[in-house]
Amino acid sequence: MNESRRKFLRTSACGLTSAAMLASMDRLNLVNAMVQPDVAADYRALVCIFLSGGTDGNNMVIPFDDYNNPVGGTTNGYDNVRGVPGGPPGLAVLKTQLLQITPSNTSGVSYGFHPNLSPEAHNAGQAKGFMDIWNAGKLAVLCNVGSLVQPITRANYAAGIGHPYQLFSHSDQVNQQQSSIANTTGQTGWGGRIADKTNGLNGAVVLPMNISLAGTSLFSSGVNSRQLAIAAAPTSLANVLNLSWSGPTPPGNPFTAGSSFRTLLGFDQGTTLIKGSTDTTSSALSADAALNLAGNPSIGPFPNTSLGNQLAQIAKLIKIKDTFPVPMKRQIFFCSVGGFDTHTNETGSDPTNPGSGGAQSGTQGGLLTQVSQAMRAFYDEMVAQSLSNNVTTFTISDFSRTLQPSGSGASTVGTDHAWGTHAFIMGGAVLGGAFYGSQRPDHSGLLYGFPTLQLGGPDDTTSNRGQWIPTTSIDQYAATLASWYGLAGPDVATVFPSLSKFATSNLGFLTP
Amino acid sequence: MKNRAFASSKRLVAFVGAGLAMILSGALAPVSAAPSISPTLISVSAGLPSAGATRAVALESVSMTSEPFSLSAETNFSPNDPRTRITLFAINLDLLAGETRNSLTADAEDAAHVHYPLKVEYVSTVPSFDGVYMVVMRLNDLMPSNLGDVLIRLNLHGMSSNRVRVAIGQIGGGPADDPGAVGTPAPQTPPAAATALTVAQFQAQYSNAAFASDQDLRRFLEQASWGGKGDDSDFNHVRSIGIPAYINEQFNTPPQFVDAASDPLFPLSSDYPFSAPYPQFFPGAPAVCDANCLRDFYSLYPLQKQFMLNALTQPDQLRQRVSFAFHKFIVAGGQQLNNNQPFWYAPYLQTIDRNSFGNFRNMLFEITLNPGMGEYLNMRGNSVVSRANPTPNENYAREIMQLFSIGTDLLNQDGTPVLDAQGNRVPTYDQTNISNLARVFTGWDLGLNKTSAIDPNATVANYQDPMIPNGNANRYDIAAKTLLTDINHPSPVVVPACGSACTTGTSPSQLAADQAYAITSLNTAIDNLFNHPNAGPYVCTQLIHQLVTSNPAPAYVGRCAAAFANNGSGVRGDIKAVITAILLDPEARGDVKTDPNYGHLREPVLLMTHLLRAFNAVTDGVLVTSITPGSFSTPLGQNVFNPPTVFSYFPADYGLPGTSLVGPEFGILDTSTTYARTNFMNTLFVQNSGAGILASPANNRPTGTQISFASYQALVAGSGGPQALVDALNAKLMHGTMSAAMNASIVAAVTAVPVSATQALQRTQTAIYLVATSAQYQVER
Repeated sequence: MNESRRKFLRTSACGLTSAAMLASMDRLNLVNAMVQPDVAADYRALVCIFLSGGTDGNNMVIPFDDYNNPVGGTTNGYDNVRGVPGGPPGLAVLKTQLLQITPSNTSGVSYGFHPNLSPEAHNAGQAKGFMDIWNAGKLAVLCNVGSLVQPITRANYAAGIGHPYQLFSHSDQVNQQQSSIANTTGQTGWGGRIADKTNGLNGAVVLPMNISLAGTSLFSSGVNSRQLAIAAAPTSLANVLNLSWSGPTPPGNPFTAGSSFRTLLGFDQGTTLIKGSTDTTSSALSADAALNLAGNPSIGPFPNTSLGNQLAQIAKLIKIKDTFPVPMKRQIFFCSVGGFDTHTNETGSDPTNPGSGGAQSGTQGGLLTQVSQAMRAFYDEMVAQSLSNNVTTFTISDFSRTLQPSGSGASTVGTDHAWGTHAFIMGGAVLGGAFYGSQRPDHSGLLYGFPTLQLGGPDDTTSNRGQWIPTTSIDQYAATLASWYGLAGPDVATVFPSLSKFATSNLGFLTP
Repeated sequence: MKNRAFASSKRLVAFVGAGLAMILSGALAPVSAAPSISPTLISVSAGLPSAGATRAVALESVSMTSEPFSLSAETNFSPNDPRTRITLFAINLDLLAGETRNSLTADAEDAAHVHYPLKVEYVSTVPSFDGVYMVVMRLNDLMPSNLGDVLIRLNLHGMSSNRVRVAIGQIGGGPADDPGAVGTPAPQTPPAAATALTVAQFQAQYSNAAFASDQDLRRFLEQASWGGKGDDSDFNHVRSIGIPAYINEQFNTPPQFVDAASDPLFPLSSDYPFSAPYPQFFPGAPAVCDANCLRDFYSLYPLQKQFMLNALTQPDQLRQRVSFAFHKFIVAGGQQLNNNQPFWYAPYLQTIDRNSFGNFRNMLFEITLNPGMGEYLNMRGNSVVSRANPTPNENYAREIMQLFSIGTDLLNQDGTPVLDAQGNRVPTYDQTNISNLARVFTGWDLGLNKTSAIDPNATVANYQDPMIPNGNANRYDIAAKTLLTDINHPSPVVVPACGSACTTGTSPSQLAADQAYAITSLNTAIDNLFNHPNAGPYVCTQLIHQLVTSNPAPAYVGRCAAAFANNGSGVRGDIKAVITAILLDPEARGDVKTDPNYGHLREPVLLMTHLLRAFNAVTDGVLVTSITPGSFSTPLGQNVFNPPTVFSYFPADYGLPGTSLVGPEFGILDTSTTYARTNFMNTLFVQNSGAGILASPANNRPTGTQISFASYQALVAGSGGPQALVDALNAKLMHGTMSAAMNASIVAAVTAVPVSATQALQRTQTAIYLVATSAQYQVER
């Protein structure tokens, strides 16, 4: 970014740049966008997949070589904690079901993906998951990432140091994942705040930078930037926003310029809640006009699932990006898939029977099938649009789940709320086939931060149930994505006010 | 901090009083104790047009210097908080007896239309000027130091003051004056002290049925029912007997379900259809359940339909509103109950219905043992993994605390968070508390199977009776558990270990000891939550949000919490007392509310019921036009009885983007659903030439929905024309709050509809459509 060419749009908030102020600025929505970059030459998009409910990272990426022994070397390993074949029903994914992977940076140590991350591997004929993308080096794993106020160790945690606000609470942890504010309740999302600072990359475009396919989301809401929320496929883009009017026309048609319907949107703007409502309707009217001209572009096949339909709609929106009067150069999409809160029925009833139960059935198994197949279809479509290098897709979630199962009857085993989880990042710009993450702050453990799966071990909280203390913060994860997207260096620190607490602001999983 | 500001302000009162006579001048403004009185902030006409029409009479609270005010005071009695406090002066401040600063809210708007809340830290009368109040406000931390002029407003009981101009850092550069802004000098002769009413006296005024205005009564029905009826029968009734008697009558209207003994199939109520011959235990059930069979017996469709019919036709309106409010923060969702089994779900609804006018302690207890809730949050069948290593499921333990009873932050009795010395909120509980409470919730499971009344050889799982302690002794956690402190226990309550009676073996007597222990432990835990100091302010905040306003002044929550703590007869948790306090509060009552932050967005259910009732709808209760069975309000973003998670249809604390306000219902208002709401108005009022939603049995609409606006057509066709039509809609739908600009715009639009044979119909449709789709209507104020 050429500083000298940046346009100074606002100066009224110049005094407010100290890091301490920034955290609280979020709450009161002060305008802090002082400079806007010039319109970008290339296209880039971020696609956030929110795994709602708290996905069990422990069953997404599993030690393969160390299946029976945690890295710490005790016998209290993955299979022992999660239940073993022949033993009482548990949550363990059988080693024989794992999709073995050997990341490029784990010194040859193998791990395994949950089998449903590539369902075709065990069930020929199923739509493909994302194993091929990993093998092609376009999918990376970020290990043990979560909400953090500052880097902490187990000893710090026990001493009450550095606890994020309301750990383990769904609503608060969803908020922290989407706001990247860990010490309080954020009122803006990091997708929205990126837009606040980068709207200039788009110029005078007709659609908001942030589009949600999952209703209104905190992630997509900035200090000034608002989101477009539209229906997923198969609703055509021309129909996602359609006002019906069966009455007399004109002049009774309420939607034409100068109509009473539109005029009313301008009234009583000093009344806060009324303004909140009219703002939403006004932005819908703007987007409506733009999308009605867009048509319904054809794209490749997507699975007919919740996430599949959301990503299909995103693929269509990307396909029409150049058809607007001013092309879209930067877009941030949000989609969400729920059901990961697996207090019970996380896996099928019989983990020893890959055909009829176990990890491949059960709630999480079904959801991972949905996620991997939808992500695969989306990746293939981006390749078809020659945009795979320009679009980066990533997952976040409330939190992970306890390694130790919770008691709830014999056949319905599940897990409770935990903390750090693993995330997937996918795209042509991703330096994939590798694990990313940070070492513990005391410089013990693995360089890439994969936790020691040991109850009461060095990565566990004092509950000793396998609630991994994250070694990488959501701030670092988000900042890495934001930097690739085009958020300028100084703005990165503003958008992610806690970032300076952590050793690195770029985790390196994306090409510059 | 505030104590120091308080002290400093008091010290200066004498000076202020002396100075005031010089500053204040002008005519005496009337002071009245009637509702809907607006505070007046004192200002003077400015000498220079560039400085705005008026300027506030304002002083730095310590140095008594005048504007411009710096953000930090050079002399400050709070070394850890140098932020400047300013003193403004007000008359017509209609405080109740004993009401203090937490009844007042204030904010400042800058030139960029950014609003900064200003915390009111002190209010008192000025000595020797009993009708004049000094109000001390703390400047906002986020104000830039050179902000320039701001317009400050003070709100009390939903009524806003005039806005007065104050300079922050430098004079000038602020927002334009409000239209018609003039100086509001203090009276030459200070007004006499108003006789402040107590809360009880305020409420007692309404015992005189003539006391409330028509507007006030229509507002009341918006809060206490699913909306005033088109034929005005409910309005006329409350007009004749008054609000307190009406509330009491509603309290005594039983829930519409029948008595257990008279239900032919199960000892169950039938508020929600229960007696339907569900094929699962119906001998004549079709071998293959077709789409209609699935809809009628294995989905929430019958319950959703019944909900709407109850809302539109049954007399227990207040109970229904309160029940729905409880349902929204004590959530079970049908999807997780064996994929929308209505007979697993209905007892949950009945439990809430039954307890809505009871005691909150019993609500918590019964909902905890409701098998549907047990299924939803995994208390049913919850078990220790082993006694040495219990780790039972934590789901119910977490959510009963976070969502159903006390919330995550320690609260003051006025609902504001308790702050520690660093200004941080204080968690109500931690992971250890959750683990301990989860261990209390072990051992419970469904009661004995029921026998089908249709087929005596068939049994059905018992989702009707409360859960019971299970016969498997190994499920129970029998070790000691440490709970929370509560109003009766300054130290955490401990559930003692069961002791030797339970500890070994599985003999019948040991099982009986386990079971007795489980019951005792559960009661201890429920008592602990019920008696937690948070319970009152937490429950009150939820109910006020849903019935009246999203951003109540803390004092309003405080008055409600006081009623929760003691109903006047020494009983804690009396929901009737809580509801009365909410509906007869000065912040709820009054003709019109001018505080710009007042009110709440009508959620889809409320939006629909209000209009359907206002236009005398005759309906099958389905309303959706799609083939897929679903809740009537699903297209608008609210799938009734199927909220996406235990966090309900929308987050209770959802922040309205771009503001520092709460707006829960905005959590499901987006660019798609705002159109869906608008299109619903077209469906209901405009399409099919106003014939509503046509019957279509093939599309799950047995009779469709017909509304009536013939009386409005007569109005527009009459001598009053479009103006009479719009005025009538204003009175009926908006209790007279439509702004003049909106009124004029709609009159013009209606007038523009060409005269033809159908003009009265089309003009009426146009007017209703424009009112119903307007944000001014959709935000209930």
